[in-house]
Amino acid sequence: MSTRWYPIYQRGNPQLRVFLPNFWMKLVRPLPQQASNIVHFQCSMEMTKHDIKNYLDKIYNVPIIDIRTKITTGRFRKDAGKGYIVKDDDIKYAMVVLPKTMTFEFPNIFEKKKGDLEDDTKSLEETKKSFRKYINRNKDRPDVPSWFSI
Amino acid sequence: MEFFDIKKNWNETNIKVGRGWKLDELRIKSNTDLHKLWYVLLKERNMLYTMEHECNEQVKLFPNPERIDKVQESMNNIETVVRERNVAYYQLETGETGERPIEDVVSIFGIPEKYSKKEYSIPAFMNKRWVRPYLENGYINSRAVKKFLRLYNEKKHNEERKARNRDYNHVQQLLKRFPDMDMEALKAEYPNVDIEKAKRTKKARGHCLPKY
Repeated sequence: MSTRWYPIYQRGNPQLRVFLPNFWMKLVRPLPQQASNIVHFQCSMEMTKHDIKNYLDKIYNVPIIDIRTKITTGRFRKDAGKGYIVKDDDIKYAMVVLPKTMTFEFPNIFEKKKGDLEDDTKSLEETKKSFRKYINRNKDRPDVPSWFSI
Repeated sequence: MEFFDIKKNWNETNIKVGRGWKLDELRIKSNTDLHKLWYVLLKERNMLYTMEHECNEQVKLFPNPERIDKVQESMNNIETVVRERNVAYYQLETGETGERPIEDVVSIFGIPEKYSKKEYSIPAFMNKRWVRPYLENGYINSRAVKKFLRLYNEKKHNEERKARNRDYNHVQQLLKRFPDMDMEALKAEYPNVDIEKAKRTKKARGHCLPKY
């Protein structure tokens, strides 16, 4: 259950123990709308279905009913500067089915808080503030460049 | 799901975090502690990957992306420490490091190579397909490989010779241009060049009275 190098398995050998798994998984927003108990992941290319099941079960304590995986080809595109062909990395997806009783909804992370300004006004305010700070700091030393300070 | 950051950090532009774990801090931890810490870091890294992916999807800036590097560095440090302990244990018990052995071998084209050993289900002499090119009439003794090696060695020799001549000429030019330069530094920069010999040549003489 990791991408490291292990001795080959021969019949009768003890079961392989993995102490420091180095696989990664990331939860992604499913593109078409899914049933509420299906979660989409991207994961390390080397992970098998068994690995995914163990990983979620043992590390995250998430019970798993079924797993389906697919590998999508990375896009072939022209390099922006030189124009040669670049291939993006392939991605392994894991579609994980949770028990019927569990539901998962992808949270809205960029929800506006109450009393929050719009993005552009916020950045404008910040810029103004930093400029005012710079002016105040350099009152007594008009010829000093902006980077000359602690 | 623990794949997301705590709610307080959602939609923040700046998330303040500490530094990663250093080697010396990890060396004084017990194996159990390191094992636990590994899973904490693994989960943290998964969380950061998830948040980064979501930020990219929503075309937002991912706050403090150096967090991923810090976690990754800590994980690398844990691996280093575990490896050190493993090596120490093996050297005590068996007198060997227990690392993957690396052997000097001759490749199928007759070129010396480093080969990191791995396990096979059968020993090498039983592996007929592998042994065949190394036999007396095998590929490694064929005329094609001998010709290749001859040309390859010639090419390497020429490269060495050209580099030697290039350095020698360059040193002469330097001596001509900067006769008062630091000879120790020159010797350190071009260890293979005979500087005393270069000084006496015609090329090293400038348009002035010779000093040496």
